[in-house]
Amino acid sequence: MSGDPYSPAVRELFAAPAHAGDVDDGETAFVDDQGVRLQLSARVAGAEIAEMRFRAWGCPHLIAAAEWLCGYYEGRPLSALEDFPRAPIMENLAVPTEKTGRILVLEDTVRLLGQKFGDGS
Amino acid sequence: MTAETIYLDYAASTPVDAEVLDRMREVAESAYANPSSTHAAGRLTHALIAEAAEQVAGLLNVDPRTLVWTSGATESDNLAISGAARYRAHRGRHLVTMRTEHKAVTDVFDMLRGQGFDVTWVEPGTDGVLDPAVFEAALRDDTQFASIMYVNNETGVIQDIEALGAICRERNVLFHVDAAQAVGKLPIDLGRLPVDLMSLTGHKFYGPKGVGALYIVDRPDCHVEPILYGGGQQRRIRPGTLPTDLIAGLGKAAEVAAGRIEADLAHLRGLRDVLWNGVRDIDGILLNGSADGFPGILNVSVADIEGESLLLALEPVCVATGSACNSKSQEPSYVLRALGRTDLEAQSAIRFSTGRPTTPAEVEVAVTKYRDAVERLRAMAPGKAA
Repeated sequence: MSGDPYSPAVRELFAAPAHAGDVDDGETAFVDDQGVRLQLSARVAGAEIAEMRFRAWGCPHLIAAAEWLCGYYEGRPLSALEDFPRAPIMENLAVPTEKTGRILVLEDTVRLLGQKFGDGS
Repeated sequence: MTAETIYLDYAASTPVDAEVLDRMREVAESAYANPSSTHAAGRLTHALIAEAAEQVAGLLNVDPRTLVWTSGATESDNLAISGAARYRAHRGRHLVTMRTEHKAVTDVFDMLRGQGFDVTWVEPGTDGVLDPAVFEAALRDDTQFASIMYVNNETGVIQDIEALGAICRERNVLFHVDAAQAVGKLPIDLGRLPVDLMSLTGHKFYGPKGVGALYIVDRPDCHVEPILYGGGQQRRIRPGTLPTDLIAGLGKAAEVAAGRIEADLAHLRGLRDVLWNGVRDIDGILLNGSADGFPGILNVSVADIEGESLLLALEPVCVATGSACNSKSQEPSYVLRALGRTDLEAQSAIRFSTGRPTTPAEVEVAVTKYRDAVERLRAMAPGKAA
């Protein structure tokens, strides 16, 4: 039977993504894979992620997860980029298993962003 | 449905007309006997079904005895295609249909191919319209059966049934038409059209779900083998106890439709103009199908927009990404792919389908939501190479 494919969290984050856009004076990572495109950009202050923004071309789950992720990382140490919060994303947003690939693109982009900060440090 | 919902998915299903609902309730409460029973109560039920047959026959200009009740268009299509192909198999095993048919048709042809039939799939043009010359070229000496839909459920494209049927008559090929999206919406005169079998369903024209019919021309060489067994009802073509209230509802829906088809069409044309004129200037917009298709359906794609996000951003406007049967699938529509759309173009397709209750104000809201959604999703998207 047909149910709502989107959790309330996905609906809320998709409807009003406060972190959509770009960060000036930061690092940017871009991944084009699995039929979606994702860009993350972040600025650090000291050893802390001061600001993170996203751009996404993909399904509502990807957009909601990117929005959630930006809020999650802001205020955390730069080293947090080494630990992708896959389980909280899957659980909090009730991401269906067939969308796991989109979350892996998000993880790849976070990893790439971390590498860019590492290269620059 | 909530108060703020704007329903623009009438090609998937329509609400039951108030007169139809009244008729169904009246019949359900009073005529519960089995119509096959010969006692007085059974005869009353039988008479109600005969009355419904007259109403549907009146809509199509046919003899009511040429109608077989089914559970809907899917069953009618299965019965027509599988039944007629098997009935004529001793004459030949070549069948012809089109790439853009509904799954209720294509899946039956796929099944028959697995049973030793040879199927030719003809291609429409990029506007979705099948060229009769292309169709005629696909027919062979051993072709016994062809099936072409009247109005496409995704694009609203209307096929030239008269020309295609004439070719079939000339070649002695049985011609079936899936008219699920046409009956009750377009004037259809089967007294004039060269059609041998026609499928219809109640819930596409303000009747109940779960009931439909198959028209079978009264001619010795046109017959169908049953696909269900278990009783002698309906000349053994389709056994099973008839759902009197649903059939009475279908009959009433046909009667109501017969009296207002032209008015409905004029209403839908006005709504389509508002819709198309409201979105046609969007950068990258594509009209899927023919500009002079059924006015109740407008299917558009837009470049570089992800379809699932577009669908969610359009809420509370209820539309479809393709046919309702496919709307949960992530696969791009095979119908739009057959019209030459790329995967990405097909994936961003939205089908707006309007109906009798739709108002211009609702359509204007849908236009505004669509424009806003496209703008918002484009603004959020990264470049193709950052």
